[in-house]
Amino acid sequence: MASALAIAAEHLRRITVQVSGARRGGGSGVIWHPKGLIITNAHVASLRHPSVALWDGRSLRGSVVARDPGRDLAAVLVRAENLFAATVRPGNSLRVGELVLAIGSPWGFAGAAAIGVVHGLIPRTSDGTMQWVQADVRLAPGNSGGPLADAQGRVVAINSMVAGGLALAIATDEVERFLSESGVLNQPRAATRGEAA
Amino acid sequence: MNESSSKGALWSFSNDLANAAEQASRGVVAIDARPRVPSSGIIWRPGAVVAAAHTIKREEEISITLPDGRSVPATLAGRDPSTDLAVLKLQDGEALAAEFGDASTLRVGHFVLALGRSGSKNLSASLGIVSSLGGPWRTWRGGQIDQFIRLDVAIYLGFSGGALVDSGGRIVGLNTSGLVGGMGMAVPAATVHRVVDELLAKGRIARGYLGVGMQPVPLPETLRAKLNLSGQAGLIIVSVEPDGPADRAGIFLGDVLVAIDGAPLDDIGDVQARLAPDNIGKTLRVSVLRSATVVELPVRVGERPRRS
Repeated sequence: MASALAIAAEHLRRITVQVSGARRGGGSGVIWHPKGLIITNAHVASLRHPSVALWDGRSLRGSVVARDPGRDLAAVLVRAENLFAATVRPGNSLRVGELVLAIGSPWGFAGAAAIGVVHGLIPRTSDGTMQWVQADVRLAPGNSGGPLADAQGRVVAINSMVAGGLALAIATDEVERFLSESGVLNQPRAATRGEAA
Repeated sequence: MNESSSKGALWSFSNDLANAAEQASRGVVAIDARPRVPSSGIIWRPGAVVAAAHTIKREEEISITLPDGRSVPATLAGRDPSTDLAVLKLQDGEALAAEFGDASTLRVGHFVLALGRSGSKNLSASLGIVSSLGGPWRTWRGGQIDQFIRLDVAIYLGFSGGALVDSGGRIVGLNTSGLVGGMGMAVPAATVHRVVDELLAKGRIARGYLGVGMQPVPLPETLRAKLNLSGQAGLIIVSVEPDGPADRAGIFLGDVLVAIDGAPLDDIGDVQARLAPDNIGKTLRVSVLRSATVVELPVRVGERPRRS
């Protein structure tokens, strides 16, 4: 199973980016669409034109096209084609106890991985769709904006903060809502692309 | 191993964990018995819930949230601070739904889940491994625990009293941070069974006592040789409770306990071992060092009085 973990972490690193912020800030981001759409936290995207570093070493200039501090989400566009994008899984199919992986740049270590389980699920009070995923995973500040993924490498949430020792991540359902409300994408989320090669 | 089958292994393990959590969750409840943060508990017998004693801060107006979401009132049947266990009785005999296992099947490195219901009262889980295992041990308050189990797993706020679950979904113990200075420990199922039964029957755990305060002292070599004492140390009596078992047997301040029933004593643990509930009412042959001679006194073990 150790090799399974290494493979899963490797996949996730390819869809994770580093987003530079003001002064020493910044964090991680998730490639949401192959045509250059990055999702991160609003608190990570504090610059209008952050620098976005890809896994393969390329550094691209990004533009913040939407920002919602209330949800702590931001959409950043980079000029690129055919990026490796995340496979997304809706938060309401998650089960307590499932394994989750977090990838990010905690304390500046790019691509570091942490593993744990789903601790709890917090739905929206208005319609019951998933809003927050609590994970029993050790996160550090550089993980913010990066992916929380299941054991198949599908992104289930965006890491946002640590509260009471638990990692709190924004469910992908909430990201979809953010994207449709802000009008960033005219079409639905990046189509599921099967196994990443 | 090719990529898709190894990914399958991880997914399979992930499902095993979620299944184990779901199975054991049928026995995990939330308890409102203190201000602000609910604690967790386990339905251990029909109509009886076991909790971590340190989380039960009041004896009235206790309510329990069951796995199906219903909130029911409960009463405190008894508590045993020495093992940090307490038993609450439910009005209706809530049936047992979770499966119990044997903690002696655990090995260091085994994956375990800690389950609780706090905060939202929904099921919560944390993952870890069995960090350290050992044989029977005595807590600092004299409680007897059948197996030393230390966990490398997060015991979140409200998780004390929750279930230790093995990868097969069986409840093998109760988790608590109240036994060893905030460290994640588990009370094995065998101990919980024993304490729950006694608390349900009697409302408290009967403990033997002598009514003395004592401290270990090394015995001088010359004295040991002269009196033919086999132990290296004795226990000097620093206080005697008036009319307690030791007082009635004629034990004085300054006496040094050196043996019980012929067996030498090295530390307080050796004495506490003789004060198990079955020894209440029994007479022990206690050897004390007094004025450089050994005196034997019969001491009848009493039952520790209940603290009000």
